[in-house]
Amino acid sequence: MSDSIRDRLSSPEDDGPAQPLTTAGFVQTDSRSAHGGAQVAPSTHATPATEGGDQGSHSGGRLRDDPQRAKAAERAVATLFLLSVVGVIGFVVSYIAAPFDFGKNGYQYYTPLLGIFMTLALTGVGAGAVLWAKTLMVDEETVQERHDLASDPADRASAAALLKSGAEASGLPRRSLLRNSLLLGAGSLAILPIPLVFGFAKFQHKERILSDTGWKAGARLLDELGRAVKLGDLEVGGVKSVFPDVPGGRRMADSAALLIRMEPDVLHTVPDRKDWVQDGHIVYSVICTHLGCPVKLYEAQTHHLFCPCHQSTFDAANGAKALFGPAARNLPQLAISVDSDGYFVAQGDFSEPVGPSFWERKPSYSDKVGK
Amino acid sequence: MATLVEKGASGTAVWVDDRLGSSNFVKRSLNKVFPDHWSFMLGEIALYSFIVLLLSGTYLTLFYEGSSREVIYNGSYIPLKGIPMSAAYASTLHISFDVRGGLIMRQIHHWAALLFMASIVVHLMRVFFTGAFRKPRELNWLIGVGLLILGIVEGFAGYSLPDDLLSGTGLRIAYSIALSIPVVGTWAAFLVFGGEYPGGAIIERLYPIHILLVPGIILGLITFHMMLIWFQKHTQFAGPGRTETNVVGSRIYPAYAAKAGGFFFLVFAVMAALGGLAQINPIWLYGPYDPSQVSAGSQPDWYVGFLDGSTRLMPNWELRTLGHTFSPNVLLPTQILPGVLFVLLMLYPFIEAKLTGDKGYHNLLDRPRDRPVRTGLGAMAISFYVILMIAGGNDIIASIFHLSINEITYTLRTALFLVPPLVFVLTKRVCLSLQHADDDLLHHGIESGTIRRLPSGEFIEETVALPSQYGVLLATTPERRELLARSEAEHAAAGAIASKPRGFFRAKGGVVVEEPTDQRQLEGTVD
Repeated sequence: MSDSIRDRLSSPEDDGPAQPLTTAGFVQTDSRSAHGGAQVAPSTHATPATEGGDQGSHSGGRLRDDPQRAKAAERAVATLFLLSVVGVIGFVVSYIAAPFDFGKNGYQYYTPLLGIFMTLALTGVGAGAVLWAKTLMVDEETVQERHDLASDPADRASAAALLKSGAEASGLPRRSLLRNSLLLGAGSLAILPIPLVFGFAKFQHKERILSDTGWKAGARLLDELGRAVKLGDLEVGGVKSVFPDVPGGRRMADSAALLIRMEPDVLHTVPDRKDWVQDGHIVYSVICTHLGCPVKLYEAQTHHLFCPCHQSTFDAANGAKALFGPAARNLPQLAISVDSDGYFVAQGDFSEPVGPSFWERKPSYSDKVGK
Repeated sequence: MATLVEKGASGTAVWVDDRLGSSNFVKRSLNKVFPDHWSFMLGEIALYSFIVLLLSGTYLTLFYEGSSREVIYNGSYIPLKGIPMSAAYASTLHISFDVRGGLIMRQIHHWAALLFMASIVVHLMRVFFTGAFRKPRELNWLIGVGLLILGIVEGFAGYSLPDDLLSGTGLRIAYSIALSIPVVGTWAAFLVFGGEYPGGAIIERLYPIHILLVPGIILGLITFHMMLIWFQKHTQFAGPGRTETNVVGSRIYPAYAAKAGGFFFLVFAVMAALGGLAQINPIWLYGPYDPSQVSAGSQPDWYVGFLDGSTRLMPNWELRTLGHTFSPNVLLPTQILPGVLFVLLMLYPFIEAKLTGDKGYHNLLDRPRDRPVRTGLGAMAISFYVILMIAGGNDIIASIFHLSINEITYTLRTALFLVPPLVFVLTKRVCLSLQHADDDLLHHGIESGTIRRLPSGEFIEETVALPSQYGVLLATTPERRELLARSEAEHAAAGAIASKPRGFFRAKGGVVVEEPTDQRQLEGTVD
């Protein structure tokens, strides 16, 4: 409708059934009133002036008065409802008959098929109900008064008085022995569950447990498939995940390590760790010193180790010093040597506790490297 | 047939009423009026998502085994056959490949969780920016923030249960975060996980927490949330006939109920479509959890993303002194930051009331522009949050746009402190400008586009009085109401001007015209 406001203002239609919402007759009381609820005020949108072009929020029931369009709307709603039946039939049929077993021809369409029919079934009922409400149901703008939330001062006072008299009747305010012993007794109940927490507690030497890993002197370095790693298995620039050759070593959360080979002359080591490396081979813990993710992304050009979780970067050529990101400490190093058969073995455990920091971790562990 | 149904219904009603006297309650309830606005359905989406979560989750519990016991996989998914894994992971594979309809249930459950959190956050923003949290609704605000926090906890627990490579990594991070608590960190971490990581108890413990404890509390809080909405009645935007002391809208029965009920099925349909057609969390591609493995591009679900981002942006501050290690680089972004943020969020209604000295009841909602400082603060908080979210995906951004991760991180660190204050100032200015524009409209009315030449030779543009339903919307303060009244009087005195209004107020399909609102009503809208 492109009528100007001026035209609308002078339109005789507006003098017709449209009425402001709040004239005394319409405003109807709180829901608790004797009349039992709100009454309907004729909506302004019910006026002929607004029919059709009206985009107001209370457009419900706007087709009621036009039998032809109401019939069409009814058919549309019914079609949507019946769509649900189609959806359910499709769902049941595909549930039973569609190829399901992994690898079977077309099995990857099983879930999408269920999804499509389920969507159809749910949309039919949902959209049908909404369309029904919007086109055919009586939905007129209604006014309801709010009731005061705060109580009457008199009610407040009498409630307080009741509480007080009840308390006095119990004798609690007067009998201090009763009151104090009750406080103590009930208060002590709060302590009752505390011992139960100790059921969860671990009375262990935290620092020792967090410092020990599966590595020990003489343990061979096994790769992911459990094969011992030999000098010469790795090219320069190559890396290999290694695990201690101890029972369960492959699955130990604190023992995973990375064997890296680089040109011996790019590898800087501190003087007292000269014999921790073998011919350009060096081993670091892969457990990030920040939050414990495996640091295994290695860039051979820069010798940087990169953690995929929070992007901490370590310099593998320089004691795995923390270069960037939230990690504060270098990755612990594992001293290695080669046994008589040419296999790599550990000289002992890591240089310091692996993984994230913890309260009992001694500062003296850090940081001889990378300074 | 119809009479049979009617007879049955009335028979049942009589039976129930004889025992419970329920007719009075039904009468009152069905007549309840709810104001209508599109933004009021955001909370509804959250509610419906929760129902879908309960339905799909119950189905999943019938197949899932919450156990870290090691098993050898022998299901239909050939690539993982013969691989040792936890029973939790194996049962999740079983749901995905050997239970008909299991995969779609899993995916609906996951999508519903994402949607649940998203609708809570958007609903929270609606409530914040319109001032719906003000007296008497502070309690419901607190419950809402509680639901947000519980939703994050619940989501993280559920995300961890499949025990795949991605979720195992998330659990290890959670363990390490617990480890960083000063003094009691190792005790706390060992207590929760059952010993040094992986500890062997966490899946077993998370399962009842995820399916019983937290959802039970959420269900209780949602019920309480709804009861308060019912009892206190919903807020409404200003408009013709709407005052602080009434509710204008639809009665709950039948149209409103039909729309809301239909909307539930539509929300469910969206989740069914997502669950069926949009793959989510394909755990079989990640493989079972192995502490020595991780995949690049590990991102948590979106609602934990801001914490991941804060962790990534944090500089590597660590204190090693007096025989102990203290880790602000972990503690600050993962525990102190969310703690402070959520406490501020909870206290906001009380802080605002204190600072503005506003102790009155508020049932009419604010337009965000009319509260420039609050809107500015909200926008500032959103910008802070968004920067953290972006930081949570800094590796993805770096690899998509071929940028240096280091530079992205440095930039975001700076942005985290510079952008929010800037956003605050900007938003506040925009709000004030919009207010000025409103004042102009109130003062001059709508520009008509008609130029009139006065006898003196001067050209003026004619204006049209603002249609009253817009006037009521804009006239939110006594000064503005005065402005509006004066403008209306002037326009009336000048005589109605025949011309077409231009711009925003030439609404689609013509402007609905109302009788001028009478003065008594305007008095009712006093703040």
